[in-house]
Amino acid sequence: MFRQHLLKNLKDYRFYGLSLALLAMLALFIKPQIIKRQAVYDFTLIVDITRSMNARDYQVNDEAASRLQFVKRVLHDVVLQLPCQSKVGIGLFTERKSTLLFEPIEVCSAYAEIDSVIENIDWRMAWAADSRISKGLLSTLTQLQDRANQVVFFTDGHEAPPVNPRYKTDFSDVKGKLKGVLVGVGGLQNVPIPKYDNRGQQQGFYQPEDVPHRSTFGLPPTSLQPWGAYHARNAPFGGAKVVGNQHLTRLYEPYLQQLAKDIGWAYHRLENSEQLKQALFVPEFARQQKVASDNRIYFAVIALVLLGWVYFPRRRAKP
Amino acid sequence: MNLAVDHPWVLLALLMALFPLWNNGVSQSDYPSIDILPQDALSTGISVLIKLLAVAAMTSLILALAGLNRGEQYRERIGYGAHIVLLLDRSKSMDYTYAGKAPDGREESKASAAKRLLSEFIKRRQQDRIGVAGYSTSALFMMPLTENKQAVLAAVSATDLSALAYTNISKGLAMGLSYFQQQREQTGSRIILLVSDGAAVIDPDSEANIRRWVKQLNIRLYWIFMRSENSPGLYEKPEDSRDDNAGAMPERYLHLFFSSLGIPYKAYQAENLDAVQQAINDINKLENRPLHYVEKIPKQDLSTQCYLLATVFIALLWGFKLIEARP
Repeated sequence: MFRQHLLKNLKDYRFYGLSLALLAMLALFIKPQIIKRQAVYDFTLIVDITRSMNARDYQVNDEAASRLQFVKRVLHDVVLQLPCQSKVGIGLFTERKSTLLFEPIEVCSAYAEIDSVIENIDWRMAWAADSRISKGLLSTLTQLQDRANQVVFFTDGHEAPPVNPRYKTDFSDVKGKLKGVLVGVGGLQNVPIPKYDNRGQQQGFYQPEDVPHRSTFGLPPTSLQPWGAYHARNAPFGGAKVVGNQHLTRLYEPYLQQLAKDIGWAYHRLENSEQLKQALFVPEFARQQKVASDNRIYFAVIALVLLGWVYFPRRRAKP
Repeated sequence: MNLAVDHPWVLLALLMALFPLWNNGVSQSDYPSIDILPQDALSTGISVLIKLLAVAAMTSLILALAGLNRGEQYRERIGYGAHIVLLLDRSKSMDYTYAGKAPDGREESKASAAKRLLSEFIKRRQQDRIGVAGYSTSALFMMPLTENKQAVLAAVSATDLSALAYTNISKGLAMGLSYFQQQREQTGSRIILLVSDGAAVIDPDSEANIRRWVKQLNIRLYWIFMRSENSPGLYEKPEDSRDDNAGAMPERYLHLFFSSLGIPYKAYQAENLDAVQQAINDINKLENRPLHYVEKIPKQDLSTQCYLLATVFIALLWGFKLIEARP
């Protein structure tokens, strides 16, 4: 009798539906999470804060934005998109070296702090005004050798004052020690550089007479043809007045590509956060980390679908 | 108690939880007519109960999937601690030892000594909110005021990288004060802990501003002056009165300036590492006054409870299914 009753249950699809739903719920409590391997990243982001980064050749919401503003915006997006357990450190470059504001920290637990530091990056934090990018890159690589994993260096490549090609920076000691990306910031057209007074008010733009247009440091470059009133001691670089456009700035892309090659890095031109993410979130920079992921939703969805099937309102077929 | 869900769109599936209202899931059999059967309260009751159980089971599953949680809450508490901005000197001289030499393995540089001792200090100040600012020729915003000790340690730990340039104390102080200017209201004492190995002249403009701000913001100032060998101290008077000016004796004049601010101020002239440690211990003891603060209670996930409920409901439905009368 009892046995017969049970056997009848076996003919009812609803019985199977409910039994399977119950099994799914039991499985949910037996194995609530699975260990997944997830790619996480450790980036030290170094931002150029020299004056040329104030040039406005980006657009944000149809308004002109300075290179620095744009970089800050992009950093905000990138940090937000990093998977938990990733680490981010932030540093600044000016003069001929860079400094870290903080060493890499886990992103998810410190998102608000990281974002606040990014928000506060300002060209006025520069401790000196030169922009010696290749020297800065070398000092960054040397200093961070055993402190960082991957370095992302944002710069427009505008060396100021101009470099003397005779004294090229030698990267052979650091080549290949640290992986990273050199990110070129700015447009390819020359634009003026805003000039600010000591109260932060803009006072027009830099004029040709404000900046040196060529290097006069050390011995003249070997390629230089002496011209004008050349004098071996008094005017080794030639005596003629030099005119140039060093008061304007653009992204010096070929130069940065060459630098990237010298240190064995990838080069990326900054257009938007999406493309930068594609350049940064690559397997080469990833570290595989085991993370527990919630497994319960799969079982819960199965149980829910089964219940939906059992209780789906249906009209009885007329006999 | 304020409930919230992480993925509100999942709640659309609640429509599905209404299915059982039209179908109680009991197998049906054909009868020519049921009109002559009397109304049976018990049967109706059981039918309604089964429907409700089924609705409840599906609802709990859907709520769990939507990520039901008890949202972030704030609780006012009284504790011991303070809001501290560490204002750290990043000028070139911090890269040297107390003896004014480049560090050679036996003796560490002032920057790394400061880093080590401050890191210990931070680890001991569990209740505080701490921020970090650096200054050299200009000021650096390194870490906002935060409870996240790992973040603060990461910022302090970055300060023994090679130092930057000169000492511009007024920009540094303005940066330190700006941390408190961003705060809407004051809870607990506000402390600026200045760690430097030198001083500089403050220009009259900044002097007036600093005077005004420290009063307004109710600042308590500590200065750990890491005095190098042979450099003039805070309390030294020059032999020649013509040297008694801010340009020649910036440390003495900065100390006089701080003393004249009319705020709680204490200077520690630390000639060696033990003295720095002593100063830090001292501050650790002094700055433990009651602090009114708001504790953030993170959101609590309620999905486990929902899953448990759903399991119970499904088990009951399964039980009813087992004892269902079948012709």
